[in-house]
Amino acid sequence: MINKKQSELSSLFITYAFLGFGLIFMVFPYVWMLLASFKIPAEIYNRFLPTQFTLEHYRTLFTLGTTGSTNPFVRSIFNSLVVSSIATISVVFFGAITGYALARLKFPGKTLLNNFILFQMLFPIVLFLIPRFLLMLELGWINTYQGMFSPFMISAWAIFLFTQFFKTIPQELIDAARLDGCSELRVVFKIMLPLSKSVTIIVAIFTFMGMWDEFLWYLIVTKDYNLMPLSVLLGLFTRGEYSSYPGIQTAGATLLTVPILILFFFFRKIFTEGIAMTGLKG
Amino acid sequence: MKISKMFKIQERKIYGFVGYGLVAPYIIYTIIFWVYPFIWGLIISFKKWNIISPEKEFIGISNFLKVIHDPLFWISFKNILFFMIVYVPIVIICSLGVALLLRRIKFLQAFFASGYLMSYVSAGVAYSIVFSLLFSGDGLINNWLSNFGITIPWFSSPKIAMASIAIIVVWKYLGYYSLIFLAGLQSIPSSLYESAEIDGASNWTQFWRITVPLLNPAFTIILIFAVMLSFNIFTEPYMITGGGPLDSTQTFVMQIYHQTFTALHAGYGSSFAIVVAIISFTFVFAIRKTVEREISY
Repeated sequence: MINKKQSELSSLFITYAFLGFGLIFMVFPYVWMLLASFKIPAEIYNRFLPTQFTLEHYRTLFTLGTTGSTNPFVRSIFNSLVVSSIATISVVFFGAITGYALARLKFPGKTLLNNFILFQMLFPIVLFLIPRFLLMLELGWINTYQGMFSPFMISAWAIFLFTQFFKTIPQELIDAARLDGCSELRVVFKIMLPLSKSVTIIVAIFTFMGMWDEFLWYLIVTKDYNLMPLSVLLGLFTRGEYSSYPGIQTAGATLLTVPILILFFFFRKIFTEGIAMTGLKG
Repeated sequence: MKISKMFKIQERKIYGFVGYGLVAPYIIYTIIFWVYPFIWGLIISFKKWNIISPEKEFIGISNFLKVIHDPLFWISFKNILFFMIVYVPIVIICSLGVALLLRRIKFLQAFFASGYLMSYVSAGVAYSIVFSLLFSGDGLINNWLSNFGITIPWFSSPKIAMASIAIIVVWKYLGYYSLIFLAGLQSIPSSLYESAEIDGASNWTQFWRITVPLLNPAFTIILIFAVMLSFNIFTEPYMITGGGPLDSTQTFVMQIYHQTFTALHAGYGSSFAIVVAIISFTFVFAIRKTVEREISY
C-alpha cells in the first residue's frame, strides 16, 4: 500500500517535472525577445542576461522617421488598433444578429443559409486573395482602412458559433422580452448576448487577434507607410532598413506581441475553454 | 381558437420578415466579398492579364497547363510536403504528450494549460523575427551548441531550412493542439479505463486500445488544421528566408503572391490559387476518408 502511494507520488512528480521542463521551452522565446529588446547590440547574441539596459531600440523605433513622415511606428499601432477594432465589433454584431435569426426565427431558406455558412468555411483564403484585391482596386480602397478590414467584417465561423450557442437559450426568455415590447434587435443585444458572454468574448478575442496578426492581406492592400498596420510595417522594416539591427527588430516584435499577451492573460480561462469547446478556429 | 390561430399567422409573418431583415446584411456582404470574388477569380484564371493593362485575353486552360509545367510549382509542392513530413508527426506526438501529462494532474492544470497556450497568441511576424535571430548563424542557439563543437545552419542550409521553419511552427501550435487533445481525453469515460484495469490491461494496451481510437475526432481535426496550415504557409518563410536558400522554402502562397503582386500576372496567379485549393481539398478529403471513424463509447 505504502509502496503504491510512493510510486504514485513519484510518477506525479515526474509529470510535473516534464511539464515544467517543456514550459521553459515554450516561454523562453518570449523572455529572450523581451530581454533582447533592452540589450545593447553587443550582448544580444552572446549573453542571455544583459549587463546593462538600454531604451535605445524603442527610442529609434518611435522617433526615427525614415520615410519623410515623423514616425510611422506610432501611427502603425494606431492603424492596427483601428482596423482590428472595427472588424471585431462588426464580426460580433453581424455574427450575433445572423446567428439569432438562424437559431431562433423561422423563415423559408433558413436551412439553405445554414448549409451555405458551413460550406463557406471549407474554402481556403488563397482563392480570394487576388479577386478581392481586384475588387479593392475597383472600389479605390487600396491604401485605406476599409480596404484592410472590409474582407473580414462578417465571419462564417462567428455566425456558426453564435447560432450553436443561441439554440441553447430558453425560449421563455425571448417570449417574455417580446411581450414587454422588445424589438428583435433588442432581444439579440439585451437577452441573447448577455447570456452568451463566453462565446461573445471568444469571437471578439479571436477576431481581434487574427486582425492584429494579419500580414498577407495588409501587405497586399497597403503601400503607404503611414497607413500600414504594425505587423506589415515591422515586417517590411525587418526585411529592409532594420535588417541588421536585431535590437530594433526585437523591440518591434515586443510591441506587436505584448497587447495580445495582455489580452490573453486577462481572458486565459475563456481562451482555454474556447479552444476545448470549439476546436474550430484554425 | 380562431384568434390564437390568427395571432400565430401574424406572428409567423412578422418573424419571417424580421428573419430576412436580420440575415440581409450577411447575404449582401457575402455576395459582394465572397461570391463575386469567387466567380471573378474563376473567370480571370482563364485569361491572360497583367493587372495594369485593360486587355484581358481569353486563353482557355493555358494558365492551368502553365502551372503544372512551372518548376517553381513543383519545388513549392515538394517543400510543403517536406514541411508536412516534419511538422505533422512532431506536433502530434508533442501535443498528445503534453495533453496526456496535463490529464494526470489537477493542481496547477489551468496554469500549465495557459502556459503552453501562450505561444499560440504570438503574431506571425513577431515570432518569425525572434526565431530568425535565435537560430541565426551566430545566434544564441548556435552559440550554445558551439560549446559542444557543433553549429547548425538552421535557416541557411537548403537541406534543413524548411524543417527549421516547421519546428518553429510546432512551437506556435503545440499548446493549441494539446488543448484539443486534452478536451478529447476528458470526454473519454473513466469507467472504460477502470474496467480495462480490472481485466489486467497494461497502460500501453489501454493507450492503444482505448485512448487512441477514442481520440479519433481530435486526431482528424488536428490533421486537417495541420494540412491546411501547411498549404497556406506564408508569413514565416517570407519573413525568415524569403523563399531561399536556393528556393528551398518557396511555398504555394509565396508563389501566388509573387506572380500576382510582383510579376502582375493576375490570371496566372488565379489559376495557381485554384490548383492549390484543389490540392488542399484533396488532402483534406483523403484525411476524412482514411482517418475519420465513427466512434461510440
